[in-house]
Amino acid sequence: MKPAPFDYVAPDTIEDACKHLTEAGGGATVLAGGQTLMPLLALRLSQPFILVDINRIAALKGVSRTDGGTRVGPMTRQNEIIANSTLAAALPLLVTATRHVGHWQTRNRGTIGGSIALGEPAAELPATAIALGARVEARSARGTREIAAADLYIGPYSTALQPDELITAIRFPEWPAGTLPLFREVAQRPGDFALVGLTGAVTVEDGRISRAGIAWFGMGPTPVRASQLEKALLGQRVAGLDVQALAELAIAETAPFDDHHATAEYRRTVGRRIFARTVSEQLQPRNAT
Amino acid sequence: MSAPQAGTPSYIGRRMPRAEDTRLLTGRGVFVDDIALPGMLHVAFARSPIARGRIRSIDTSAARELPGVHAVLTARDLARFNIDLISFFLVSPSIRIPPLAEDRVLYVGDPVAMIIAQDRYLAEDAAGLVTVDYEEEDPVVTIADARRGSLVHAGSESNVAAASGAEEPDEDLEALLTSAPCLVRHTIRHQRIAQSPMETRGVVVAAHGESELTVYISCQSPQMAARYLSMAFGIPQTGIRVISKDVGGSFGLKVQPWREEIAVVAAGRLLARPLKWIEDRHENLSASNLAREQEIALRIAFDEAGSILGSHVDYDLNNGAYPHGPDSNLAAMMFFWAAHRMPAFGFRARGWYTNTPGLGAYRGPWAIESLARETALDIAARRLGIDPIELRRRNLITKADQPLTTPLGIRLEDITPAECLDLLLQKVDVPAFRAEQAAARAEGRYLGLGITTYIEPTAGSAGISVLSTDVAQLRIEPTGKVSAVLSTHSQGHGTQTTMAQVIAERLGVAFEDVTVYEDDSSRGGFGAGASGSRQAVAGGGASIKAADLLVDKVRRIAAHLLGADPAHVRIQSGRIHVDGAGEKTCSLRELAEIAYGEPERLPAGMEAGLEAQYRYRPPPVTFTSAAHACIVEVDPDTGFVKIRRWVCSEDCGVMINPAVVEGQIAGGVAQAIGTVLLEEAGFDARGNPIAVTYKDYLLPAISDVPDFEYVHASTPSQAEGGFRGVGEGGCIIGPPTLVNAIADALSPFGELAPLELPLTPARILEVIEKRPLSGASPASSPQAGQPSPPSVPHSPPPPVEKPTGTRPTIDGLWKMVLATPMGLQQFTARLAANADLLTGTLQSEMGSQDFTGTIEGNALRWDLKVSKPMPLTLKYDVRIEGDRLTGKVKMGLFGTAKLTGERVPE
Repeated sequence: MKPAPFDYVAPDTIEDACKHLTEAGGGATVLAGGQTLMPLLALRLSQPFILVDINRIAALKGVSRTDGGTRVGPMTRQNEIIANSTLAAALPLLVTATRHVGHWQTRNRGTIGGSIALGEPAAELPATAIALGARVEARSARGTREIAAADLYIGPYSTALQPDELITAIRFPEWPAGTLPLFREVAQRPGDFALVGLTGAVTVEDGRISRAGIAWFGMGPTPVRASQLEKALLGQRVAGLDVQALAELAIAETAPFDDHHATAEYRRTVGRRIFARTVSEQLQPRNAT
Repeated sequence: MSAPQAGTPSYIGRRMPRAEDTRLLTGRGVFVDDIALPGMLHVAFARSPIARGRIRSIDTSAARELPGVHAVLTARDLARFNIDLISFFLVSPSIRIPPLAEDRVLYVGDPVAMIIAQDRYLAEDAAGLVTVDYEEEDPVVTIADARRGSLVHAGSESNVAAASGAEEPDEDLEALLTSAPCLVRHTIRHQRIAQSPMETRGVVVAAHGESELTVYISCQSPQMAARYLSMAFGIPQTGIRVISKDVGGSFGLKVQPWREEIAVVAAGRLLARPLKWIEDRHENLSASNLAREQEIALRIAFDEAGSILGSHVDYDLNNGAYPHGPDSNLAAMMFFWAAHRMPAFGFRARGWYTNTPGLGAYRGPWAIESLARETALDIAARRLGIDPIELRRRNLITKADQPLTTPLGIRLEDITPAECLDLLLQKVDVPAFRAEQAAARAEGRYLGLGITTYIEPTAGSAGISVLSTDVAQLRIEPTGKVSAVLSTHSQGHGTQTTMAQVIAERLGVAFEDVTVYEDDSSRGGFGAGASGSRQAVAGGGASIKAADLLVDKVRRIAAHLLGADPAHVRIQSGRIHVDGAGEKTCSLRELAEIAYGEPERLPAGMEAGLEAQYRYRPPPVTFTSAAHACIVEVDPDTGFVKIRRWVCSEDCGVMINPAVVEGQIAGGVAQAIGTVLLEEAGFDARGNPIAVTYKDYLLPAISDVPDFEYVHASTPSQAEGGFRGVGEGGCIIGPPTLVNAIADALSPFGELAPLELPLTPARILEVIEKRPLSGASPASSPQAGQPSPPSVPHSPPPPVEKPTGTRPTIDGLWKMVLATPMGLQQFTARLAANADLLTGTLQSEMGSQDFTGTIEGNALRWDLKVSKPMPLTLKYDVRIEGDRLTGKVKMGLFGTAKLTGERVPE
């Protein structure tokens, strides 16, 4: 660990943190759990003038039920999310997805806000936030605004957040009982970033799909919402789903790329299959042959 | 005197917990980065961002001005040391290997300047301020580039770093292959591998005056490190104290101090300040020497019954820019078919220079032979419709066939691959598996079984001068405790435990009373340390012989003091007993106190003290044999491989500690799993490394490695103690075992051909779906059986002068040096010219030999037949210029070696 020189502040309040971000005029980097930032600093790929460490801000931690949903503080550690009984009941998909983030040791430090703010296109949590229809609360000295997770990502590691903005909450809407999680990740080793990943929630009422939120990770320069699929699923009878045809629609909006781990065509091919496999297992367990 | 002490608990063969583990597992290990010396400064390197180019200028002024920076050094500053970076074989290579780049950079990461500063942070800051003006050139990255690209090393004749085998196809062999009932072709592209030890390279140096150094270095042998430093700097080895207490893995990377370490030592001498450099992971994955990257095209001819008729191998190996030793991997060819009945074999093997990090060793550097042979045998079995186990049985050399000498001159006396296979099949119920496999296929699940055999040459002591002997110095101290100074060394091998087991058993003392020291070159004698799977055999043999000398002395002293017959004296758990005379006893401590303090009580004329030393040379080669089986399931939807079972049946002779043996095998097989499924140290077309962190260089994690099962055959070897080496085998036999299991699972879909490693999920899915999914560039694969285009020489060969009336004086005595892959050979020759006829006598350590040859202008040519290391005809082709001569010698399969010489004044 031998980063380039930087200044360091560890404010106790959101207001102070925002003040530092404003004063830095774009030269600040926020330190949350540090599971990506620390290696980047060590490699000198990240060379901020000032590091704003938000680990001491109590207001950024914790999970609470709100009107119409669940609020998750961005500094909630990933292992805390996995162990949280409120989330287990309200957002089982979020818990499942978080289990796939890194390793047990990294999840002790890694935070949900850090992962969502980083915007790694192959990471589990940004795509899951999109699938669940989360909104991100961003605060700056200029005020507070909410950004839909689906609008947050504009490129690899690039978000709609302004340099002076800090994520202060991730707000998940209510998903009714009877919502089934769809999650499958294909990674070369457990804990790796995905070659292909599917994350989603589908609500089934009286045998018909009444609500669907589905997104991909590792399938493009950003997490990709499968909005055509979501529309097509609405109102469909679960028992009669044409899974193969839907699989084609599921990947219609993805834009995967080649790298030395896998090609775009591999990602599309396997994406279709894990969609079909996951939907069959979760939505049609009795129909499975 | 060869039997262990009767009555003492038997330590050899016991699963003793490792003595070093408590210390290592509780954070009490001492690694290079734990060393801090008063006044120590820190080093960082400014490295080339381009793979190839000329350095127009280096501006270090901004870096020098940074407060806290003590010095910024470039090649010019180190020139005064005239450093000779030699190969692993102690040979000066024909290319110049500077510690820091001189006028050219040859790979991304090539060190251009070193910054010495108060701390590493400042040194890195300053490294970023070094400005280098490069004239960039197109790099030579792949083997294909090397064949057609421009020269990596200006002034060399071609990009061929080393060659062996026959350049031209042998007509008889070609006829045999093409007319055989079944000819199997197989091509493999093996990726580049990073050795990736948990502890990266690192060095701390303190210079004491002009000719003494203390060097802490992460290495494979303090003795060898001291020897290389001694040769690089021209300082007596005794003046160089190398300390290397604990090392976190090496796998071949740290077999010798290389450019950065040498540069740090030079700078430490220059500045007269202690210096530290610890390689970071990015440097380790991008700029350290790497391993493998091979292309092989194999042909095997069979008769209808599956007996092998002949085989040919065309083989290329990426040597990078600065290999630890220019290498065509002759060992891979020597051992390719050594365990098989092989009537006719030919090969062409070449190592190529490229603009990538140099070739280093990696556990089982010749492992490609097992990968190519075993995967091709399975392809052949499918083609011939013969069971792959049966095909092996028909061709393997068995105990009954031995002793025999292979066509390439390898003496086999006790290899047991066929016997290991039999043992393996007692653990693996193949018919039951085949039934399960068929049932699974019916359900759309794909299981596969891979079974392989191999032999591994271990503890070789002939041909490579650095790997001949090891030494044990034993001392029963006046306290009665035993200290052993050995030339072994551990990077995790557990030699402090295994060697103590051997010594305790042979001496008849408690294991706990033996302490092994192997960390400090100033304590012991020269030796090779960890290299070539040699420590159990060479270190164990030396320990036995030294212990036996001590036992003999103890018996004679005890007999003298107690009034007994030496033959009746025995040592048991640290006490002396006399058979049949229970009252005659004393402790080893009492005896030692007399031996050191009251020498007048010893037998007349006996030297005082209880110390013994033995330098042991093991047999020329000790073979270990094994057969492995692996069962996998391949997911046909994703191309993912799940390893369900792995059984290792191996014969490493007498086991000192089965837990250590199994640990060695498991570690090697884990690396094999990484090689087959995950790891790739690749480069883009501009020579930029693409896996420079562990996010992209995927090592096998615990989740990727199954629990292994073991069977041990334990046929005693000819070496002292009956031991055989076991360090590299898992890494050699593992890759083909796993590939064969995957190929068997995929057999309903097609062959994994050409085989390109790693077998990523995309490559596997490609076979299942028969369409391109992996994006592998077909241009990078060699085509089976098609000879590669010949390399284009970029500088003309030295001109042959036309015969003129005044040709140089030939007559007289000449001193010559031949740079063979195994080391420099010096000899003299007396030459005499008689018109166009040359006569001469060559005089070397091996004796004297007469020859005749031809003269054409200043060109002399003669042939010389030698019998060692095997029958060979050496073809000399020499040019005389005044009192100097240069030329080359073709050495048959061993390739071509450079010859230099000068006239001896008479």
